[in-house]
Amino acid sequence: MSEDRGERRPRPRGGRRPRRKVCSFCVDKIEYIDYKDINRLRRFTNERGKILPRRMSGNCAKHQRQLSEAIKRARAIALMPYTVD
Amino acid sequence: MNRYEMIYIIDTDLEETARKELIEKVSALIANNGGEIEKVDETWGKRRLAYAINYKTEGWYVLVTFKAPADLPRELERNLQINESVLRYLVVKLEEKRSAVKPRANKPAPLAAPADEEAAPAEEEAAAPAEEAVEAAPAEEAAPADAE
Repeated sequence: MSEDRGERRPRPRGGRRPRRKVCSFCVDKIEYIDYKDINRLRRFTNERGKILPRRMSGNCAKHQRQLSEAIKRARAIALMPYTVD
Repeated sequence: MNRYEMIYIIDTDLEETARKELIEKVSALIANNGGEIEKVDETWGKRRLAYAINYKTEGWYVLVTFKAPADLPRELERNLQINESVLRYLVVKLEEKRSAVKPRANKPAPLAAPADEEAAPAEEEAAAPAEEAVEAAPAEEAAPADAE
C-alpha cells in the first residue's frame, strides 16, 4: 500500500524515484468537471474504458471524486463507453 | 426553482419534422409545468454513440438548460421514458460552480467558496514533501498565493 504512494515520500534506497504527480484539474483551476467534456475525461480512462486510479492519474481526492462522477454520467448517455474490447 | 441541464438522445430514424416536433413537445412540457427554458442546444446534432442502444449506433443529441421547480424532472423523465424515439436521457441539477468549458450566465459567487476551494489543493501540496523540487515548485507556489 505504502509502496503505491511512493510519490508522497522520498525513498532513499536505490531504484527509480516516482515523479510527484500534480492534479491536472487543480493546475487548470477547474471547479466543475463537465461530463460533456469527453476529450478531457478520456485522458483519465485506460484503453479498455476503465477509470484510472488516483495513483496513476495523480488527481487530488476532490477532483478524482468529481471526475469519476463525470465519467459515469458520460457513460450513461453514450458519450463514453462502459467497456472497450 | 433549481437549474437543470438535460441531455436526451433522439432516434435518428425519426424524420426532421417529427424530430422538431418532439423537441417542441419536450420544451412545451417544461414550460407548461412551471419551468423556464434557458436554452435548447442542438449543435451536437447527430453523433456516434459510444455503444449501441437498441441496436442503433447513432443518435441525435439535444441539450436543454432550464429552471424548474424540484418536482418537474421526475415528470419529465416519466414522459421521456414513455417516448420510444428517445433512446436515452439524463437530467442533471446544475451547481453554482461553473465549468470552464461552458461558461453560463454570471451569478454572484457563493460567499466563502473561493477560499475553501483553494485550501484543499494547497494542503495537498503542503503535505507532500517537495522531492522533485523542479517539477513541484511552480504549482506549490501558485496554490498558497491564491489562498491568501
